[in-house]
Amino acid sequence: MSDVATAPSYETACARIETIIARLDSGEAGLRETLELCQEGRSLVEFCATELEAVGQGLEELRLDELVTRLEAGRSEAA
Amino acid sequence: MYDVPDSPAGIPGSGLTGPWPVGHYAAKLRSRLREFARVQVFGEVFGFKAGRAKVWFELRDASGALPCSMWRREWDALGIGELADGAQVVAAGGCDYYAGSRASSPQFSFTVTGVRVAGEGDLLAQMERLRRALYAEGLTEPQKRLHRPALPRVVGVVTGEGGKARDDVLAGLRRRGWAGRVVWAFAPVQDRHAAPAITRALQDLAACEEVEVIVVARGGGSLADLFAFCDETLCRTVALLRVPVVSSVGHHTDHTLIDDVAAVACSTPTHAAEAAVPVDCGAARAALHGHAARLERQSRRAIVDRARTLARLSRAPAHHVAKHRTRLHQQLRELRASARRGIAAGERTNHASAAALARNGRAAELGTTRGGQRARLDAAALDRAAATARDRRRRDLGRLAVALAAHDPQRTLERGYALVEGADGEPVTTAAAAAAQPELSLRLHDGSVRVRPHGGVPSEAG
Repeated sequence: MSDVATAPSYETACARIETIIARLDSGEAGLRETLELCQEGRSLVEFCATELEAVGQGLEELRLDELVTRLEAGRSEAA
Repeated sequence: MYDVPDSPAGIPGSGLTGPWPVGHYAAKLRSRLREFARVQVFGEVFGFKAGRAKVWFELRDASGALPCSMWRREWDALGIGELADGAQVVAAGGCDYYAGSRASSPQFSFTVTGVRVAGEGDLLAQMERLRRALYAEGLTEPQKRLHRPALPRVVGVVTGEGGKARDDVLAGLRRRGWAGRVVWAFAPVQDRHAAPAITRALQDLAACEEVEVIVVARGGGSLADLFAFCDETLCRTVALLRVPVVSSVGHHTDHTLIDDVAAVACSTPTHAAEAAVPVDCGAARAALHGHAARLERQSRRAIVDRARTLARLSRAPAHHVAKHRTRLHQQLRELRASARRGIAAGERTNHASAAALARNGRAAELGTTRGGQRARLDAAALDRAAATARDRRRRDLGRLAVALAAHDPQRTLERGYALVEGADGEPVTTAAAAAAQPELSLRLHDGSVRVRPHGGVPSEAG
């Protein structure tokens, strides 16, 4: 998708977390790099947790027409 | 009328003939069926199986079906090989009935004696043509190039409203631990209205921006049942949708065209749901907790380890000084102990030497005393011996002097004798020798006088 480059997706975030942990585990990162990586890792973990949270609230079933109605109502409210 | 001696009584009140032994009736049935006109029939082949003696298949069309069998030897002689489902054939033959027995089941079949393959079945042929066209146009690729989100929040599903596939999709989503939003787009999935309705449902779902992936699911059925999913318009629509489509149509042996153009084709609706949500949410949550914990641990360790190192480094100089101080103290103690040991050993040696010296002194003193005494004794003895020797030598000397004086020629000369000496001073003792000398010296006790011999006669008395 075109927005992959701009906003992180769940899978790119996970992949980046793995990379960060591998780098930290290697013990080669200096103090500054370690702290920066930890900071970045924390925000990515937070992002992933939000994504998982979004699909953990309980299965919601909608019929397509209901969704369309809801979306149209949302648009008119916004307008 | 047959004679049936052991026949049981019939059903009271029944107006039908019999009861007949079933084998007898089955044999009659076979005879009657074999009397049916032998014909040619055509349809699509399904479930072709080749046994050791016979081959079996069904001939089907939209309105009916017929179980068929053919001797394996005759089938092999045709050289057709195995028939795929859906292949359209013309079969020549007639009805037959295997009457069975106590140990085997009866079976009706259309016994085929000749087969002509009428090309691919209509449906299969249409499908194959369209498949080739879709591949040629590259329409099987666009869906596969689409990004499929690992964790979609909204999943669209196109399926029959009352079908089992609906429950299977939900079961698959639950198995993933996924509890997001499912948007149902119900559509008929097997009549002639199915394809346009499914196409519309797909388009509508794709038009909703929040739908991230679409599952198209339908349970198993005949090729004709599933043919809606081979519709050209439907397939072209799927190929060009912006949203990835996961298809699951029919059983795993069925292969419809939507499977070719979809991003992913699955064998069951449950698998399709799992493919639509690739992440196992439960496992992902656990993994995420693990990642978070590791990050915290790493972060803390990075600081704590360095703080420890710093503390260790800052302690190092004092530690070294203390270490050296301890070593110096130790060495000092050792030095003192060593000195004490040395002094004690020296004192012991000195004492021993002093004792030895004292012993030696005493011994020397004793020796000196004894020596003095002995010397004094020796001196007295020597004095005595010397006096004795002196006296003896004095007496011997006197005696010798007397003897010597007795032998002195001077004394002889003094008594009136003279000594005759030659010119060379040597004594001349014979008259001949004196006569031979030109000059003689006569030595008297008070001096010498020179004389000349004048011949001479040797004295007889002599």
